[in-house]
This record gives sequence, structure tokens and C-alpha cells, in this order.
Amino acid sequence: MNKPWLKHYEGHVPHSLTYPEIPIHRFLSDTVDRHPDHVAVTFNDLHFTYRDVNERVNRFAQALLELGVEKGDRVALLLVNSPTYVFAFFAVMKLGAVVVNLNVGIQGEELARCLNDSGAKAIVTLDLFAQGVYAGIRKTGVKTVILHSVFGLEKTLSLDQGVPQPLLFQELLTSAERAEEPAVRFSPGDVAVLQYTSGSTGAPKAAALTHCNVVSSVLQSDAWVGISDAGNAAVLCVIPFFHVFGMSACLLISVLKGYRMVLVPRIDLMDILSLMETLKTYKPLSFPAVPSLWAAILSLPPEVAREHLSSIRVATSGGAPLPRWAHERFEELTGRRIAEAYGLSEASSATHFTPYPRGGPIGSIGVPLPDTEAKIVDRETGKAECAAGEIGELVVKGPQIMQGYWNNEALTSAALQNGWLHTGDLARMDQDGFFYLVDRKDDLIISSGFNVYPGEIEEVLRRHPKVKDAAAVGVPDRIKGQAIVAVVALKPGVQGDKKEFLKYCRDNMPEHRVPKAILVREEIPRDPAGKILRRTVRQEALTL
Amino acid sequence: MKELLTELKRKIVEELQLKEVNPDQLADDTPFFDGGLGLDSVDLLVLVAMVDRDYRVQIFTRELGEKVFITLSTLAEYIAKTRKTK
Repeated sequence: MNKPWLKHYEGHVPHSLTYPEIPIHRFLSDTVDRHPDHVAVTFNDLHFTYRDVNERVNRFAQALLELGVEKGDRVALLLVNSPTYVFAFFAVMKLGAVVVNLNVGIQGEELARCLNDSGAKAIVTLDLFAQGVYAGIRKTGVKTVILHSVFGLEKTLSLDQGVPQPLLFQELLTSAERAEEPAVRFSPGDVAVLQYTSGSTGAPKAAALTHCNVVSSVLQSDAWVGISDAGNAAVLCVIPFFHVFGMSACLLISVLKGYRMVLVPRIDLMDILSLMETLKTYKPLSFPAVPSLWAAILSLPPEVAREHLSSIRVATSGGAPLPRWAHERFEELTGRRIAEAYGLSEASSATHFTPYPRGGPIGSIGVPLPDTEAKIVDRETGKAECAAGEIGELVVKGPQIMQGYWNNEALTSAALQNGWLHTGDLARMDQDGFFYLVDRKDDLIISSGFNVYPGEIEEVLRRHPKVKDAAAVGVPDRIKGQAIVAVVALKPGVQGDKKEFLKYCRDNMPEHRVPKAILVREEIPRDPAGKILRRTVRQEALTL
Repeated sequence: MKELLTELKRKIVEELQLKEVNPDQLADDTPFFDGGLGLDSVDLLVLVAMVDRDYRVQIFTRELGEKVFITLSTLAEYIAKTRKTK
């Protein structure tokens, strides 16, 4: 295959890597051997060294083993970035069990569907989310609920009969008598993570990522950046670990390198404000963020932004294209470039990166990582390869690409054809081998770096007792890339206003899916076949 | 104070591109979050940047944020008070 992009690789990046056949948690064991006293996790005033982390990981793994969790079992994590996430993630890995990575915003029926789809046997969460979890697990196979008590809310829970009593994470850790690593045999093809991702139909779908996929992805990104002299440098972990970008760029790269993860949990809205102090205190080497976060920070007065961003040698943006002004502002302030990464849950994280540290053309998602093939194919047939400059669907192939969707052969065979992952992104490649995103094949909205399908919002809105029909679209937004606007049509004879529907959305969907504006109309425009005329809806939303 | 509040309403609507919100119709006690403007954490950071840039007032801790970002009035009061003491 012709790979015109190879000429853009920096001198430190090999065209191909060797991938050891190791499980993900070997990153942790190796770092504990090399740097046991490096600080691994900083969370408010708590600091854990790699030795501390490994001991807690082993204790929690032993506790899970005693609770009957075995190799291949699925364990759901519904956690913000916290020490508990780190301990639980690696404990599940060491047992050969599978992490079901869930967005903390999902609740109720959606949570139940993910738990049922994955067949999760246990869930680890915070007391803060316990009520929502118990509302969702009644009709699932979850037998064990483990709560990390932050606010003591487990004492106020009123539980229905037949649901498992919660076990406290802290008590399990202290009561585990053994702290050695469980002896489990691994094969690199074992599934390690089920990464739930948005689906166009609203039904849950999980990318099944093997140890081999995830290890390959982390090693590719590490080789791309090529930093080897940073000691116990800090990585600012704002991007949630439950997202592949956070799992790879924050959690796993840090553990591989022996970096200090400085966690910003985002339990509530105000947590984001600790970001400013954190930047100043820990002077992170690396800050992976989504464009909306970069845009917000880069809106600060120049001297303030410069002071807070001056330490960052690896500034990464992913999840959606970063606007030109943000690229230019960062370079003006720091003399460095923000590297853009492109990836997806189905690819464990990144498939493309702009050259580091030189950067790529603004607006480009960069070039494929080592051992990653990419091409643009005809958007209708998905087969014929497009010439340079032509727009078609981006398809990718490489060791980081998933094995398929969990328990869903139909979706898998549609997405994976002869090893090529069809991304659904319309893109072009220039003569030089740089790739550019142009649009989506479907109606996906990308807001603040999160993928949102209109159906996920419409389905919830249609459940409102006053709503007859609903539609959602994305409109351009300077900070968030796209903002969501929903339109609702009411049932005959009822009245309702947008505030009521916005509140309903806030109560029933994750923050990133809540529309920025809601319009109330008599009808949702549909074609004779009943399909929503999204272009018409979008045009109206744009006139706001 | 009234002038500052009027100016803040206009700036907030502009900065956050709240296209369907008329700044002149925003009540002084409109909450920033639930039931009010319904802002999210990124919106909050954008407002923090705007307040620093335009008024040279820094709200960089959650403790302060909890006291200041309650309603439009509480933000205006804090800006007015902090600017005076500078």
C-alpha cells in the first residue's frame, strides 16, 4: 500500500513497532518494578505512589476474586476520574475480567441496557450514583454492587427486596487478607475492555477491545511523542477515563511511563475550577483535552493563559477538530503546537496524529500512526479507493482496531470489512498524505468532544408525557464545535414551554446530551416515508 | 451596579452564544445552572475567562466559584466588590 504520510514522521518515530504480547496491567507491574516511589496518582490532597497503587490493585483483585469474579466476567465501572477508578481498572485487568467502561452520565433504562448487553456481574461506582444504579439494575444480572463512599450516601439508600446490598469499596480493600497479584493466564486476544459508544438507533453498542488492541494503541501513541526523559512528570487528567481518549492518553500512557496522574474528577460543575490551580501547582508535562476545554482556557487573558500553560510540552486535542484560532493562540502563547489526534472507541483510541512536536497543517487530523493503514473509499459502495483530494469515507486498519462489537455480529460485519474499520467519517487525503475530516456519513453530532446521535435525545424527549414527536440537530458553536438544538411537537391540547423540557432533559440524560436550546413547534418535518427532514430542522435551528 | 449587571447579561449571552436568550429579559436573580441558564462546566470556564479578561477578576477555585456563580446578581456583586478593592 502506498503510504505518502510516512515522509512526515518525525525522526524519532519508527515506521513500524514491535508489540509485546502482554496484558495491559504489565504496564503497571513494570513501572512498579522500575519506579515504585514515583507518585502515580494525585487526587486533591491524596497522593499514591506506584507501589501504593499496585498494593491496592492487588487487594481489590483478591476481594473481587472472593466475590466470585473470574476470568472473562464483566465488571462495570461507573466512576469519575478518581483513585478508585485506577485501582478498580487494574484489579479487573489482573483477574482477566473485562472492564465495562460506562459514561457516568448514563442512568435508568440506558444503564440497564448496557449492563444487560454486557452481562455485567458486578458494578463499581460512587455512592453519589448509587440511587441511579439501583434504579437501573433491578432487571439485570448484576449480583454485586460496590460503592466508594465519598459522601456517606449509602446510609440513606432505601433498597427494594431482591437487589444486592451494597459493599463498600474501602472495607473490601482493608478486609482483603492477601495483597499478591492473582495468578491468571492471559492470551493477547482476550477481551479487556467493553467500550460503550453512541449508536445511531439508541441501542447500546460496545467496542470489544482486547489486551493486544489497547497495548498496541498505547505504544503507538507513546512512540509518536517519543519523550523518554520526563521522570515523574505530571499528566493532567481531566478527560474522563471512561472515554478511550482519557483511558489511553491519561491513564495508560501515564502508567506506562511512570508519570503522575493529577486527577480532576468533574463530579459537579464547580470541579472544573480546580483546573486552574492544578495547572499552576503541578505544571503538567502533558494535557490531553477536547477542543471545548482548550477553547475555554485559551479565552483567558494572554498573560494568565501563558502562566498556566507554560509547562505543557505535550498538548493534545482530540474528540473533534480544534478551531484555527485556538491553534494560533496556543502557539503565540507558548511557542509550541497543539497536536491533534483522531480516533474512535472502535480503535482503542487514536489512529491519526499530527506530527509531534512539529505539528501539521491546521485543520488536518494528521497522518496514520505506525502500522496503521488508512484510505478514503467511495462513500456509497465503501469499496473503490478515492484519489487524493476526493471526499469519501475514511477506513482504517491496524493492531489497535477492535475485534468487533460485543455480541452484535450484524453491526460488526457492517463496520469491519476485511479488517478495515469503516469510521462513518467523510474525509479526504491531500497529495502529501495528510487527512482532513469533512463531515459525517450519518447524523452524528459531536459536542464538547462527545459523540451524540440525535436518536439518543429524541428517544428521551418522546417519553415526555406532553411530547408527540421530537428531533435534534447539531449547529456550529465556537467553543463546543457543535451545540445541540432540539425541536419538540406537543400532543394535541397540551401546553408546555422550553424550560420544562430542558429541565426534563437535564434530569434524564447525561450533561453532554442536554440540548442548548429547545424549540416548541406544531409538527416535526418528516418526508413521506416518515424520516425526519433534518436539513429543514437544522435550517430553523440556525436562525436562532 | 445596575449598569454592570446589564453589561454582564449582554456579555454572557454573547460569549456563550445563547441565541434564543434576550439579555434585556433576563432577571437579575437568574441562576446560572439548573432551572436558570442551564450552563455546563465548559460554559462555566468560558465565563471565568471572560470575567478575568474583561474585569481582571479571577475566580479560580471551586470554593469561590460556589459563592459567586449562583445568580447573575451574585456574580455582579462579586465583580463590583473585587474591582473596588483592587
